[in-house]
Amino acid sequence: MSIPKRFPQLLVFAVVLAAASPARAIPPFARKYGTSCLTCHTVYPKLTPFGEAFRRNGYRFPGVDSDFVKQGTVALGQEANKKSFPAAVWPAVIPDSVPIGVGFNGSLRAFPDKTATDPRSSNGRQLSFDDLVAEGHLWLGAALSDTTTLWGELTLGDGQPVSVEHAQVLFNDVVGPAHWVNVVVGKGFVTLSSFGPHSSYAADVQIPSLPVTAMGGTAAGDGTVTPLGAGLNLLDSFKGVEVNGVVEGRFNYALGVSASNGAPGFNSENWYGSAGFKVGGMRLDGEGDSGPKDAMRPWAEEALTLHGFAYHSNEHFADALGLGPTSNDVSLTVGGGLRAQYGSAELDLGYYTQSHSRGNVAWDAAAGSLAYSKVTGDALYGELSYVVYPWLVPVLRVEQVGLKPSGGTRVTDLHLMPALAFLIRPDMKVVLAGNVETANGFPTVPDPAGNPVPVAWQGGSADWGSIGIGPTPTSLGTSKMSELESVNVFFAWAL
Amino acid sequence: MRTTLLAASLLASLAVAGTARAEGGTIAGKVQATPAKYLPETVVYLRSVPGSHPARTHEMDQRGMQFLPHVLPVTQGDTVKFLNHDHVAHNVYSPDGEGYNLGSFKQGEAASFVFKKTGVYTQLCSIHPEMLAYVFVGQNPFAAAVDARGHFLIKDVPAGTWQLAVWNGHKLKAPDRSVTVAAGKKVDADFSLKR
Repeated sequence: MSIPKRFPQLLVFAVVLAAASPARAIPPFARKYGTSCLTCHTVYPKLTPFGEAFRRNGYRFPGVDSDFVKQGTVALGQEANKKSFPAAVWPAVIPDSVPIGVGFNGSLRAFPDKTATDPRSSNGRQLSFDDLVAEGHLWLGAALSDTTTLWGELTLGDGQPVSVEHAQVLFNDVVGPAHWVNVVVGKGFVTLSSFGPHSSYAADVQIPSLPVTAMGGTAAGDGTVTPLGAGLNLLDSFKGVEVNGVVEGRFNYALGVSASNGAPGFNSENWYGSAGFKVGGMRLDGEGDSGPKDAMRPWAEEALTLHGFAYHSNEHFADALGLGPTSNDVSLTVGGGLRAQYGSAELDLGYYTQSHSRGNVAWDAAAGSLAYSKVTGDALYGELSYVVYPWLVPVLRVEQVGLKPSGGTRVTDLHLMPALAFLIRPDMKVVLAGNVETANGFPTVPDPAGNPVPVAWQGGSADWGSIGIGPTPTSLGTSKMSELESVNVFFAWAL
Repeated sequence: MRTTLLAASLLASLAVAGTARAEGGTIAGKVQATPAKYLPETVVYLRSVPGSHPARTHEMDQRGMQFLPHVLPVTQGDTVKFLNHDHVAHNVYSPDGEGYNLGSFKQGEAASFVFKKTGVYTQLCSIHPEMLAYVFVGQNPFAAAVDARGHFLIKDVPAGTWQLAVWNGHKLKAPDRSVTVAAGKKVDADFSLKR
């Protein structure tokens, strides 16, 4: 295979590596409340039922949040100033020390199979320390009042520019009973399920992304097709406004708009909505006396949560190198999932289907223009875990993503990820994870001669590493390939 | 001689009793709060004691950008003189009750206000919005702010049975207690505040 033909695959593969995002934990909250990470987490970022309630409440304890705050505060105005409004500024408080946490994460990766994708793309290397220290993070979590909270995160990639992953102001309990209506403004993850976006032991995010744009791309007049890069990611840091809440402790919802998909070159206009319902266990807002039955196992409960979402995106982008008119890809994603908890065992299942109006592109030589076509995709994910001890959790995660271009055949990618997550300390974790992947066919883009060339996968939601599987030089668009991609040791610590 | 001694002893006893009756009794106790950090903004007081209570004048200072004391119990009709010992100008105002704004005054200056209505007045400074104090205006003078450990002491309480109540600046609550005070005696009463 010539270098130009390989270029799209390598580019997509590089995008996967660059887009890998770490798990998160927030030491500022531990300091604020004078409490351990284990109040909200098992092996972070996985949240306990109480931690999920804390997150849903806009990073506030149930009841009156300030009752639980042990960190000193500086009053920027007293509560009684509200009575003088508008003659006085609406009051607020800030922590008496900067509410910032610091953390690092990385991974040691081994490639037992020398013919797997990564060794093939790295001159046969079978052990990589490249990402041993991959990222640094600065987290911010604070409250301006009992109802207004702040959440922020700066990510400093090794050799990468600083990224503002989160910068949100959360106006909670805006109207109506407590927790019913909250407004979130800024940049952060959209709410597509009843659980946190990082609600996984083995993956970075709960809901995997689809590699739709691996099929598409921009085509220059000479027929050279360049992948569009990272396309629509459902779970990522987007700028927007979201209204969410928990009603009567058992029903959660979110409605939002966002104007970004996190990828350069796209001008997105997105709207979405989600809803969920929980039976049994702690209330979704953590209020009342619905706490854990077993104080020694605060993560354990008997509960079933059902949730669903719809996500509509209109992504505007410029055609190939400015040769064509501006175009757009309209996509609609509909999905749902469940979480079943029985004591320390937990099963997460989810599925969604996604349709794109212009998910694929080719150069129409006869017409002398680009030809776009529809693409449909789907993702199925499941994660089974059991908290043996509060510091030890074996996990099996499965993801399957599928794509079907208009007039083409459906291609799939199955991803198995057995893992063992454990805490060395409450704020220091290690995850041992295997990564087995089976690609049934590859998305293709046309080469300069118009022939379909397979490109690497970039879907899924693996933690801090590539799950992309690259076609071998002899692969076709219909090739099936399995490989033990890697055995990984992930590290993370925070303080 | 024996009769004389008995008479003297009887007279002495009556004198002691009369003195105790004049001093009244004492109510002492301890308040616990959950969360404990809200304990300092607590006043224990008698809800109602019949009779007239002579008006007095109290002082609330401003030093180091703080109102001192932080909680000041006074009686309806009392005057509070607000002082300023800081090198910066302060203001004294409250949005509570009838509301008042005593304007701004410089170091060494003072302003007074007569509290004619019962209630709790949040004491603010418009120049320094972080400053806060409370003036607790009771119907009677039998009130005390708790100390840092929650202890309180109300002296010279008339003998009788009274409703002892507690106020907290963070809306923590505890049920009233009925206390019977005897002249010259001390009665204990504890409270546990919570939401």
